[in-house]
Amino acid sequence: MKSRILLVGTAAIALAALQPLTAASTTSSVTMSATVSATAKLSVSAATLTFPNADPDTTPSIAATEGAVTVTAKAKTSTGSTVTLTLLSGADLTSGTDTIAISNMTWTVSGAGFVAGTMNKTTAQTVASWTNSGNRTGTQTFALANSWSYPTGSFSATATYTLTAP
Amino acid sequence: MVAAAPPDAVSYVDSDVKTRHLLFTLVLLAAAAAPAIHAATSGGTVGVTVTIAAIAKLSLSTSTLTFPNADPDTTPLIPAAGGALTVTAKAKTATGATVSLTVIAGGDLMSGTDTIPASSVSWTATGAGFVAGTMSRVTAQSVAAWVGSGSRVGTQSYGLANSWSYPTGVFSATATYTLTAP
Repeated sequence: MKSRILLVGTAAIALAALQPLTAASTTSSVTMSATVSATAKLSVSAATLTFPNADPDTTPSIAATEGAVTVTAKAKTSTGSTVTLTLLSGADLTSGTDTIAISNMTWTVSGAGFVAGTMNKTTAQTVASWTNSGNRTGTQTFALANSWSYPTGSFSATATYTLTAP
Repeated sequence: MVAAAPPDAVSYVDSDVKTRHLLFTLVLLAAAAAPAIHAATSGGTVGVTVTIAAIAKLSLSTSTLTFPNADPDTTPLIPAAGGALTVTAKAKTATGATVSLTVIAGGDLMSGTDTIPASSVSWTATGAGFVAGTMSRVTAQSVAAWVGSGSRVGTQSYGLANSWSYPTGVFSATATYTLTAP
């Protein structure tokens, strides 16, 4: 009798352990957040532009000895906004009290968004513009109009680039 | 004087035997009169039920991942602020069954109508069973997998690929983890 009871108990336990196991799953969430702020970053391959003396008859336009200047403009802005790059001279080219009008300096360009222009000491001139964020590169090739009317001297001026990412 | 007759030996013997007989008879009679005594048992049964069901329990050390603004030139991969995320996965499953942990983004990171692809988010991992991966909004990506029941802990270090092409804004998306114990 006792042995009979033991067998029944064992069978009950065995049956229970063979019950099918239902799969279980659970979920949890995380929120990902990224902040992108307006950023403007400019680099110019040359810090000086040198225009040597030249015969106006043979060299009516004097090229800068440094060659083309490479401009790299990186900007983050809102969708649809215009990123602009401008150039403004602080003054005419000056040697003592003598001057050469800064408007005698011009440039041609290469690269998407870059435009040719003429230096100005009053109004910043557009060098390039683009829509939206991005990393852009182009070149400017500067030239100084030559003239027999220029007085002798070593003339200089400083021009300032401004990259704006609204 | 007439001498008393000696005790009759035969009588003594006879008497003793008779007593023994009598006693034996009495014992027999007593035994016959007593009720019979047998071993007795009583039985019954009890049903025992043990239920071990699959269980999955997941906890994350944080519910937010924040990627701050950074210069793409100096920080090409922006780490999530606050460091690594700790994942604790506890599961009961059948012997030999695979417990899996996956994550999927509900969409790209969005700021108004602007987006940054969810696939710009990736992670490295530490801990047995944990694997590195790249976020997807289409297919749940494996975060970890183990065989059999157990309590496991690991970490994920998230990073957002930086780019000059991203528009400005505050972008967000929700990623859902799923722990499955078959």
